[in-house]
Amino acid sequence: MSKQKTLSSEVRAFLKFLWSEMKPRGKALTPFNVISVPIMIAGLVILVIRFTKGLGAVTNLSQDFPWGFWIGFDVVTGVAFAGGAYLITFVVYVMRVEKYHSIARVTVLNGLLAYIFYAGALVLDLGRPWNIINPIIGNSFGYNSVLFLVSWHFLLYMITEFIEFSPAVAEWLGWPKVRKFLHSLTLAAVIFGITLSTLHQSGLGALFLLAKSKIHPLWYTEFIPILFFVSSIFAGLSMVIFEGTISHRVFKDRLEPGAHESFNKIIFGLAKGAAISMFVYYFFKALIFIHEGHWSMIRDAWGLWYLLEVVGLVLVPCFMFAYGVRHRSLGIIRTASVLTMLGIILNRLNISVIAFNWNAAVHYYPSWMEIVVTLMVISAEIWVFRWVVTRMPVFGPSREFAFTS
Amino acid sequence: MESYSYVNIFETKGLEYLLLICFLVLFVVLVRYLSAPKAPANKPKT
Repeated sequence: MSKQKTLSSEVRAFLKFLWSEMKPRGKALTPFNVISVPIMIAGLVILVIRFTKGLGAVTNLSQDFPWGFWIGFDVVTGVAFAGGAYLITFVVYVMRVEKYHSIARVTVLNGLLAYIFYAGALVLDLGRPWNIINPIIGNSFGYNSVLFLVSWHFLLYMITEFIEFSPAVAEWLGWPKVRKFLHSLTLAAVIFGITLSTLHQSGLGALFLLAKSKIHPLWYTEFIPILFFVSSIFAGLSMVIFEGTISHRVFKDRLEPGAHESFNKIIFGLAKGAAISMFVYYFFKALIFIHEGHWSMIRDAWGLWYLLEVVGLVLVPCFMFAYGVRHRSLGIIRTASVLTMLGIILNRLNISVIAFNWNAAVHYYPSWMEIVVTLMVISAEIWVFRWVVTRMPVFGPSREFAFTS
Repeated sequence: MESYSYVNIFETKGLEYLLLICFLVLFVVLVRYLSAPKAPANKPKT
């Protein structure tokens, strides 16, 4: 009887804790809240229209342009930015470089949320969204399909990233034994996650191999998968620099003493990695350009657009990263990370939207509702990120347990 | 019958080999540039 009483009081205390954690914290009227709440309400209204009246009611998609902004930006670009998670976990848990340990959790959280929200946004773009389960349950397995690989990888990688992040959840809930068990799974999860990431980052590029006749020759190459993989390295590193810089300002009260200074040192290491991977990527692009003999194509507007992407948003930030590392300038490195992210967005949109069906008489451009829904997805991700960071020990491992019954 | 000149670097892939050599040299230069001794331990410029 007393055991039952103890158990019920434990459950009650646990539920009370969960309920208290659900309540909002901090100021309600922040600039981010004021901007994001109307966007999210508008986005939800548009989603109701999308699911009741179909894709045609809210998007400019057509038979000629079945993939638009939601795929090009949310899925193809968002997943590239999530690449920081597999890189940092590889460096920390496999290479055992302890210097980067303090950013491992926040990077994994970012990756996990990016996959949940951006890859999850795939549901919005499916004409029959209920069929998304088909690749998983075995209803007509398409073993030869790249989409089959990508869908399985997305699912498995989300589970893997959750396992990598789960010790932080156990710490928050005050479950030391569960935390110990989950922590023991981390290395295996990391190795499995790296394998999945390298394959599906390139797999996303392989989706476009079928569209040779539709993509502008300056962007189409049979090496798109390799380019997607290599570019995900510096996309992820730039995202970690960008996100970390903002987080360290917004959540400075959550940081341990000295964390800000140590993050500044980490930035130089990340920038070094970004500079080297961008240089390799630029070499690949130059080699493909010369091999394909595209000299005559850079004289028109498409050529200038291509040069803006490859020179202005790859080579220039590459040198800026190198200069910033050498001269210990955080400002230059941060600027370079923003330029690099713009370059990644431009590259992914060029391949999936802008230079796709480039010679069509009527070209696709996203409707305002597509853009609002994308902004809603980004805002929702930031809301969840903020909720997790203000409750769980994300910035560096913590020995204190938030929940004590 | 098609023919090409051995001195035309565009037709003989010469340019691609030149690019590769340049890349290898520049890659070493870049890594050395990035690994050079650190500047005096001043506060990082922001």
